[in-house]
Amino acid sequence: MNNDKHIASAFDRDLEAIQALIMKMGGMVEANITAAAQALEDRDVETAAKVRAADKAIDILEEQINEEAARVIALRSPAASDLRTVLTVMKIAGNLERCGDYAKNLAKRTGVLAELTPIDGAGASIRRMARAVEEMLKMALDAYIQRDAELAEQVRQRDLDVDQMYNALFREFLTYMMEDPRNISACMHLHFIAKNIERMGDHATSIAEQVIYLVTGEMPEDARPKGDLTSHTDLGLEAP
Amino acid sequence: MNDMRIVKRDVDMNDIKISAKDVQVYYGDTHAIKDVNVEIKDKTVTAFIGPSGCGKSTFLRCLNRMNDTIDICRVTGKIEIEGEDIYDKRVDPVQLRAKVGMVFQKPNPFPKSIYDNIAYGPRIHGLARSKADLDDIVEKSLRRGAIWNEVKDRLHAPGTGLSGGQQQRLCIARAIATEPEVLLMDEPCSALDPIATAQVEELIDELRENFSVVIVTHSMQQAARVSQKTAFFHLGNLVEYGETGQIFTNPQDPRTESYITGRIG
Repeated sequence: MNNDKHIASAFDRDLEAIQALIMKMGGMVEANITAAAQALEDRDVETAAKVRAADKAIDILEEQINEEAARVIALRSPAASDLRTVLTVMKIAGNLERCGDYAKNLAKRTGVLAELTPIDGAGASIRRMARAVEEMLKMALDAYIQRDAELAEQVRQRDLDVDQMYNALFREFLTYMMEDPRNISACMHLHFIAKNIERMGDHATSIAEQVIYLVTGEMPEDARPKGDLTSHTDLGLEAP
Repeated sequence: MNDMRIVKRDVDMNDIKISAKDVQVYYGDTHAIKDVNVEIKDKTVTAFIGPSGCGKSTFLRCLNRMNDTIDICRVTGKIEIEGEDIYDKRVDPVQLRAKVGMVFQKPNPFPKSIYDNIAYGPRIHGLARSKADLDDIVEKSLRRGAIWNEVKDRLHAPGTGLSGGQQQRLCIARAIATEPEVLLMDEPCSALDPIATAQVEELIDELRENFSVVIVTHSMQQAARVSQKTAFFHLGNLVEYGETGQIFTNPQDPRTESYITGRIG
C-alpha cells in the first residue's frame, strides 16, 4: 500500500472525503444494531421506532457514497490502490446498507414481539449475538481505515462464533416451539431476527475480505470458515 | 480475479520479436539506461511509461539504432530482433530502419506530395518494380494508415497541407510502407486533439495484427487503452514489465504504484 500524498492534493481530499463518509455510515449502522437489540430485550417500542427512522439516513448516505465514488472514477481515473479504494468503498457501502436493513427489520419485529409472551432468555441471547456482530463490523471498519489485512483476517475467523450462536438459538427456538405451540409465533419472529443477525456477520466478513483485497490486491483464496449448520439440522423429535 | 476480463487482453502470439539483454546506454558520463533486460512480443502493443528523463525514449531509440547518430552515445549489451543482433557490424542501419519503422511526437511529413511521402521509402529500398506496383503500395499503406478515404482524391497535394491528425496518420502510413516488422512510436499523439488521438489509437490496435508495436507515451490512460504489455522505466531502470491490466490494477513494485497513481513525477 502507498501512503504518500498525491501530487494533485485535491485527489487526496476526494479519497479522504468518501472514506470519511464510509466511517460515518459504519458508525450509524453499529449504533442502530446496538439500539435495535437493546430495544428488543427491553421490549421498548419507542426506541425500535427510532431505529426504523434512522435507517433512512443510512440509505441516503449509501447513495451519496456511490455518487461520490462515481465522480472520482469519472474525474480522476484512479489506478492501482486508488482504484481499489474506490471499488471497495462502493462494496462496503452496499454491505453496510444491508446490515442497516436487517437492524431495521429487527426493530419492526420488536413491535409484534412486545405484544407476545416473552421467550425466556431469548432477548439476552439475541443481544449477545448482535454485540458480537457489531464488534466484527467495528473491527472490519478499523481494519479498513488502518489498511490492516491481519485484523481483517481475524474478523473472518470470528464469523464462526456468530454462526455457532445462531446454531444454538435455532435449536433452542425449535425446542420452545415443540414444548408449547403458543410459542410458535414469537419463536418464528425471533428466529428471523437471529438469522438476520447471522447475515450481518456475513456482511461484516465480506467487508473484511474487501479490506484484504484493498491491501493485497487479491481476494483471500482460502474458503472462509463456515459454521451455520442449520441447513442440515433436525432435532429428531416428532411433534406430540 | 484475472480470468474474468471484459475485454480479452491476451497476447495473441507468444513469439518474442525483440530481446534485449543487459543493455546499458551512456551519454558521455551519464548512465542513461541501466541493465535493461526485456523481451517484447510479436503482434503485441507494448507501452513504455515513466517520468521524463527515465530513459524510455532512449531505450526505444536503441531498437532501431537511432542513437548511432549521437556522437557521445554508447550502447552496450545485446539487442536481438528475431534472434539477429542489430548491433552486429554486418548490419546496415539503413536496412534495419526499414525493418523497424518509427513515428515521432510531431508529425513530420516530407515537403512533398502525399503520394511521394509514402512512395519515398519503397523507392529507395527498391520495393516496387513498376509504377503500378508503387501505386499499389501507396494505396495499401494509406488504407492501413486509416487515411485513404480522406486523401484518395488529392494524392498529389502536399502532405504538409493536411491537419495534424491526418499528418500523423500519413507518417504512420509512411512508416509501414516499407513493410517493417516492428513499429516504434515516440509519443505519437501528444500533438493531437482527442478525436485524432482516438483515430490513431484505433489504428494502433489494427496494426497489432501485423506488427509488433512499441509505444512511448506520457499518457498513462493511453498506455492502458492501447497496450497489452506495459513497461515502467524510472531513473534508467526497467522497474516493472507486465500485462497492462495487472500493471494498472495491482502493480508489484511500489515505484510503479507511486507513478501510476500520480504520487511521483
